[in-house]
Amino acid sequence: MDEQKRAQFKKVLREIKNLPTLPGIVAKLGKMAEDPDTTTEQMGRVISKDHILASKLLKLVNSAFYGFPQRISSLNSAIILLGFNVIKSLIISASIFEVMEAQDVELWEHSLGCAVVCNVLARHLGVKDPEEISTAGLIHDIGKVAIKMELPREYEKITELSQEKKISRLEAEREILGLDHSEVGSWLAKSWNLPNKLVEPIACHHDPHLAKEEQQASAIVHFANIMIRGLGYGHAGDIWVPPLNNKAWKLLALAPADIDPLLREVEEKLWDVKGFSLDIQTGQEGAA
Amino acid sequence: MVLAKEILNPEGMVLCGAGTALTPALIERLIGMDIVDVTVEGHPVILEGEKTLQEELHEIDVRFQRVEDIAPLMYLKKRIQAKLAAARNTEAAAK
Ligand SMILES: [Fe+2]
Ligand SMILES: [Fe+2]
Repeated sequence: MDEQKRAQFKKVLREIKNLPTLPGIVAKLGKMAEDPDTTTEQMGRVISKDHILASKLLKLVNSAFYGFPQRISSLNSAIILLGFNVIKSLIISASIFEVMEAQDVELWEHSLGCAVVCNVLARHLGVKDPEEISTAGLIHDIGKVAIKMELPREYEKITELSQEKKISRLEAEREILGLDHSEVGSWLAKSWNLPNKLVEPIACHHDPHLAKEEQQASAIVHFANIMIRGLGYGHAGDIWVPPLNNKAWKLLALAPADIDPLLREVEEKLWDVKGFSLDIQTGQEGAA
Repeated sequence: MVLAKEILNPEGMVLCGAGTALTPALIERLIGMDIVDVTVEGHPVILEGEKTLQEELHEIDVRFQRVEDIAPLMYLKKRIQAKLAAARNTEAAAK
């Protein structure tokens, strides 16, 4: 790989002009969350100023994709029930949802499916904030969206190379760009000041053994990506199930007997999120 | 056909529980309530263009082609295929 070329791609991708910045509200809420005197009402008031964001947030909270058992009808109860961190990650999801949904429907389905599996796995493993892991699953391939938007010519070449040589998209990215979508995704997540709980799983979802702090979250996203590809839900650029990292597999410590119930739960939830869209202007809410 | 999942109204209230048999009268009533989709047990309707079980099993084989040396993934593949075959069998038995 030509070093100069790699540096050039890196520069373009790091500058990212075509992806939207996160709404200012995320930074504001982040500051509020750090202040111990902030009340739920204050936070609710800030969010509800943005009507569209507030309704998207409630729609997301009530979707099968986060799997809360009861219906949450007000912002304040959502904040009390879920806590600041989860709300913040939901706002980030809502904003990123928008970009992904518009860019690539099949990748969007893959991401949504991966988020569902993350949620099921995280709950099964008793992780503290399963919503954060779902969010990581939702945006794990955001680097692919960035490559498509910023380097459309190379994006086409990657597709061609992967088909021609029958190699995975990841390998083709490394060959053509000298870097891959997990690296690009991690820059993006860092530039949005996302917490490390999201950055590391994005950066390490193909190499979870490289995770330093968020090993469990990275292992969950890694295996969720494998499971959703195995189920053939959505499409992530090539058809193959990627290899399983041994270290991540040991860390998850799943028994063969866990697989059937996990698959059953995943399939049920996938059915529920099918066709889920955050477009609150045109999207109708399913009646059933 | 039997409901595999309860039907909720937009407020989240249960209209019909899982296990309820869908009679023509009930279907009429649901249509009247603007319920557009429900989840039923098994796989009662073959949609046009839908793949056969053999085709689907083969597609799963192809997807897992690159990881044949990874035992846990081969087990995962076996379970996904078994589940699919079981779902199709209930559908065959329902006819
Ligand atoms: Fe990926
Ligand atoms: Fe992926």
